[in-house]
Amino acid sequence: MKHIWIALAATTLAAITPSAMAETDPQSGTTISAQTLVTAKVNGMVCDFCARAVTKVFGKEAAVENVHVDLDKGEIHVTLKSGAELSDERVASLVKKSGYDLVSIARDVA
Amino acid sequence: MKCIQYAGPVLAIGFAWSAFAAEARPVSYPGGWTAMQKNNGDFSSLHLHYSPTFRDSIGLYSERNWLGDWHFTGVQYNRLVKRWNRPNMQANLYVKAGAGQADPFRDGADVDVAGFVGVAADWETRRWFVSYEGRAYDLGFTQDARQAARIGVAPYIGDFGDLHTWLMLQVDNRPEAETPTTVTPLVRLFYDVQMLEIGYTPETEELMLNWIVRF
Repeated sequence: MKHIWIALAATTLAAITPSAMAETDPQSGTTISAQTLVTAKVNGMVCDFCARAVTKVFGKEAAVENVHVDLDKGEIHVTLKSGAELSDERVASLVKKSGYDLVSIARDVA
Repeated sequence: MKCIQYAGPVLAIGFAWSAFAAEARPVSYPGGWTAMQKNNGDFSSLHLHYSPTFRDSIGLYSERNWLGDWHFTGVQYNRLVKRWNRPNMQANLYVKAGAGQADPFRDGADVDVAGFVGVAADWETRRWFVSYEGRAYDLGFTQDARQAARIGVAPYIGDFGDLHTWLMLQVDNRPEAETPTTVTPLVRLFYDVQMLEIGYTPETEELMLNWIVRF
């Protein structure tokens, strides 16, 4: 009985820690760590040619794995490397460096 | 000095396949380099600049002016004075200044200290584009001025990464030219970090072909 409680406690603990966000690839069996998706809504991003600045500026950040620009929505989608962080202040700074005005920031974990 | 004298013909050969346009945005992202080239029957130019911030760029500017028979070579500084960012549009106001030397290549006069100042503005949405640029030169042995305005429309709205197309109309005013005011229909294409412009000026029967590369 004691072992069952320990197992349940361990399972619960695992469920509330960040590593619980990791998933296992059913094909390879390898563990895939959770990645944070940062969405920055900006004003002024109407030109593809000029929005290249976004991919260049964000792409230089060590924490950034991928950058996608949605001109229709005026959004910058940034995928962070596993376990990496990018503060809201840093995102705001990078948006300004790119030449745009930040409206809002949203975060999701994939 | 000999190198500078040879620079003109070398640039002229390089420009021969290109044409002109109202200045595209003269600043880039921090750390970005840009090569901008334009040419028409009146002048050919090459501007290579570096942007330390998104508001500034500094670089080299060379212009072979066929209309005034002079060649300017110098340093150019561009400053984004004001940018208006809105949900579906952006507008910009720039000032520019250059300092260097001008070579009156056909009358044998001496090379002179020269400079220019300019102002540029643009407004664009994903569908519409309007721009203006004015520039005035003091070349020591002569003075020059010109201005250009553009209106453009995108026939389709492309996503990020697509080939983007703009149909534009440019009006140029060069008081010293035989035909002071000309209208040039043109097509602007851009893909990734390259931009290409092709047009034709019926009044002067001149072809237009410009390019910009950011790196």
